[in-house]
Amino acid sequence: MPFITNRLKPYAMIAPALAVFALFYLYPIGYMIHLGFHEWNFISPDKTWVGLGNYREMLADDTFLQVLRNSALYTVMTVLLATGTALPLALWLNRKSAFHAFVQGAIFSPHIISLVSISLLWSWLMDPEYGLLNGLLHLLGIGPLEWLNDPDTALISLVIVAVWKSLGYNTLVFIAGLQSIPPELLEAAALDRSKPWTTFRRIILPMLSPTLFFLVIINLIGSFQVFETIAIMTQGGPVNSTNTLVYYIYEYGFRYFKIGYASAAGVMLLVIVGTLTLVYFRLLSRRVHYR
Amino acid sequence: MSLNDAGRRTAAGRAAGVRRMPDASRIRAVLEAALLAANRACMLLLVCAFALPFAWMISTSLKTLPETMIFPPEWIPDEPVWRNYAVAWNSGPFLRYLLNSFIVSVGILALQMLTIIPAAYAFARFRFPGKGLLFGLVMATLMIPAQLIFLPVYLMLSEWKLLNTHLALILPFASSAFGIFLLRQSFLQTAEELIEAARLDNAPEWKIMLRIMAPLARPVLVTFALFSFITHWNDYFWPLVMTTNESARTLPLGIAKIRETEGTATWNVLMAANVMLAVPVLLAFFAAQRQIIRAFVYSGIK
Amino acid sequence: MARIELIDVVKRFKGETVIPKLNLTIREGSFTVLVGPSGCGKTTTLRMIAGLERQTSGDILIDGACVNDTEPGKRDVAMVFQNYALYPNMTVRGNIEFGLKNRGVPRQERERLVRDICEIVGLTPHLDKKPHSLSGGQRQRVALARAMVKKPKVFILDEPLSNLDAKLRVQMRTELIELHRRMGATFVYVTHDQVEAMSMGDRIVVMNRGEVMQAAPPMELYHDPDNLFTARFIGTPPMNVLPVSRLAGLRTEGEGTAEFAGFRPEHARLFPEAAEEPRDAWFIAGEIVTRESLGAEEVYQLRCEAGTFFVKSFLNPYGGGNFAFAAVPLDRLYFFDRDGNRLRNLRAVRPQPALAGVR
Repeated sequence: MPFITNRLKPYAMIAPALAVFALFYLYPIGYMIHLGFHEWNFISPDKTWVGLGNYREMLADDTFLQVLRNSALYTVMTVLLATGTALPLALWLNRKSAFHAFVQGAIFSPHIISLVSISLLWSWLMDPEYGLLNGLLHLLGIGPLEWLNDPDTALISLVIVAVWKSLGYNTLVFIAGLQSIPPELLEAAALDRSKPWTTFRRIILPMLSPTLFFLVIINLIGSFQVFETIAIMTQGGPVNSTNTLVYYIYEYGFRYFKIGYASAAGVMLLVIVGTLTLVYFRLLSRRVHYR
Repeated sequence: MSLNDAGRRTAAGRAAGVRRMPDASRIRAVLEAALLAANRACMLLLVCAFALPFAWMISTSLKTLPETMIFPPEWIPDEPVWRNYAVAWNSGPFLRYLLNSFIVSVGILALQMLTIIPAAYAFARFRFPGKGLLFGLVMATLMIPAQLIFLPVYLMLSEWKLLNTHLALILPFASSAFGIFLLRQSFLQTAEELIEAARLDNAPEWKIMLRIMAPLARPVLVTFALFSFITHWNDYFWPLVMTTNESARTLPLGIAKIRETEGTATWNVLMAANVMLAVPVLLAFFAAQRQIIRAFVYSGIK
Repeated sequence: MARIELIDVVKRFKGETVIPKLNLTIREGSFTVLVGPSGCGKTTTLRMIAGLERQTSGDILIDGACVNDTEPGKRDVAMVFQNYALYPNMTVRGNIEFGLKNRGVPRQERERLVRDICEIVGLTPHLDKKPHSLSGGQRQRVALARAMVKKPKVFILDEPLSNLDAKLRVQMRTELIELHRRMGATFVYVTHDQVEAMSMGDRIVVMNRGEVMQAAPPMELYHDPDNLFTARFIGTPPMNVLPVSRLAGLRTEGEGTAEFAGFRPEHARLFPEAAEEPRDAWFIAGEIVTRESLGAEEVYQLRCEAGTFFVKSFLNPYGGGNFAFAAVPLDRLYFFDRDGNRLRNLRAVRPQPALAGVR
């Protein structure tokens, strides 16, 4: 008898966690895929099978195509800017003094504040008439910008907010990565009279590549999930210029009650993020240098 | 003291005719100091880029409505309008929102502790068929964010009549793959001998887990708790999707809703509300900066 | 105290057979030492007795009762680990009473037991400290106390002295022997150090590659080894073993074909020349390659036709230059066959003529 309970023990121990994951993560995905093949307006209990109809409709929808474009643009800009600026910043701020700790803490602070706070704050900062940003630009003699109200600048404004929020996190992660480089390597390079740029390219960058790899994927997946800033600051507008995938799904699910269609869009999101992750891992993980 | 200085200062040096050079060393020192100052100044500018928005937030929260509509903007209001805070607070049942946030964050953390400790322990210490597969499954959920599955989960919870309840906000997060991952690492590093000694001491499995391994993993648990609490406290998306009325609404959602209320949707009141939302977290951050940074930054480095 | 029996015990790890077939009886109340080189299976055997490893097949009995399916905590076995394995987050008191608590011993009695044990091992001033603030020796005492307080039938020690410095080690050796005498439990002690084994055990089990080479009291191992391995394992320096084929003039009578001949360094004496006396000795010539002086002892390494060998002398340094004849009493010569088994019925015979071993 004790032998059997001994065998069952580990399963019993992971059962609660597994139940949560199965119920709230794995099953919903299956459910969503299933719903994607139906049409349902949530009020009535009828779910009509439409096969690939939702997908066809989606790909024929101009708005959807724009949403895809917006998502791609947003992601590329955010990832490039956020990680691209974080690396030089990390190199600059990488020192262990009280002052540096203060600066690091300051730039990290947006990361732990609610996105609601940040969205509200930046909505106000970017107010075309009375916002602080235009006020500062005025000091520099630049005319007022429309920021969130102009379809041409709205997406970039959101990118700026995203970068502002994540810059501190990215920088500190880079700093942690930099500090994990064995100092002997850098000392050896110094003894070899290596120029700063060479040291960076040949030693620091390869040693940092796992961190870079990690940050890019985190920022990538994160930027595809953007929702809060859009919901609070632009509601997808103006003229769908800031409508991205998650917001699109949200609208079709909760505003237009086209559950089947929204589910199909959700599946698209799943496919896109999944493919990106796979491609990313296959292509780039080979270039990551592990010790 | 460089050789030059030494040369200059002794009589012998002077006699030898050591010329008074334009203090190359002193110039270098000055340049270095200047560079350092410039470096520091740039860093302070950077800090400003992050601090200024908050300062502006506070400044706005203390203005009258007309004062907010001055362009170019001015920083200091004539008289601090503390009333804005009262208006913001009274514009909705914020005490209830606060309570809801608290119940949800604490509830999630409690359930997470209950589920991740045994799971991490099992994955770390036992060998059983299917372990690899099950662990892989758990880790796969790390790739599934809330934004992907909100719709089907909403439909499920709606069917079970759980919308607008605390359960809807707590249950989906009752476990954490991230927590299991972190804790498992920590458990794996505990010496096997310790557990064997406990077995010989006749300790039942739960005692080994709770009296020996968990205390040893305390730093990791604290780190995770910080991370989980802050993340869920700040969550706007999930409560937005899962609640339609005030009963279970949490603070971030409540604050965002101010915009939709007539009479309070003005920037000064809004910023006052924002201050109330952001400042507690900021204060906690300054108090436990190192711990918090460690929680978010280092735990991410797998 | 209890008798421990291992019957046909086999242990396999991932396809590798660590213990092919072990049959061993550990007498009750004995201080049995399992000794052998790394990987010989002594620790594995120990852990199987404790119940921390499950044998692949075979039976383990404690006091006649089969404990194959009994959990480690229920076998009435206490263990002292090599690295002590003290619970870091508990005080010394907590560490010691943990096992008692789990058994449901009421608090009053627990406190009494803990107090008594601490008096015995000398830990009373440290009761409320945590392990990290104790020295190595103190930690070891806590590990001992933790095991002792349970008053087990079997006391298992896994190289408990290996982490101590030399002086402390010697001191603890005598204390452990005292402890055994006082407690009366069966002690099963594992070490790789044969000196420790010889000085502490009243019965020694020499193991190699999962097999028992010989199980006997120390002196028997020393005087009457069963096989080459045991002969060479015991003794510092170990027994000299030379191939018989290269030893000219060595004559034997009795049963068996000797492949190897052995003698202990301390049984040989060095002479500057081959002599008539001692009569019942066999002389072997060699060149002295190294000399080690250990104060009272001298250890010489000599090279001869058949190989190198050692000679150990006590308070009798050799003054005869670089060449010497080692005289080995004939009755101190051991013979082994090709498989390393001891040929007890083979004796060396006085060479005729005398001095035939001379070159």
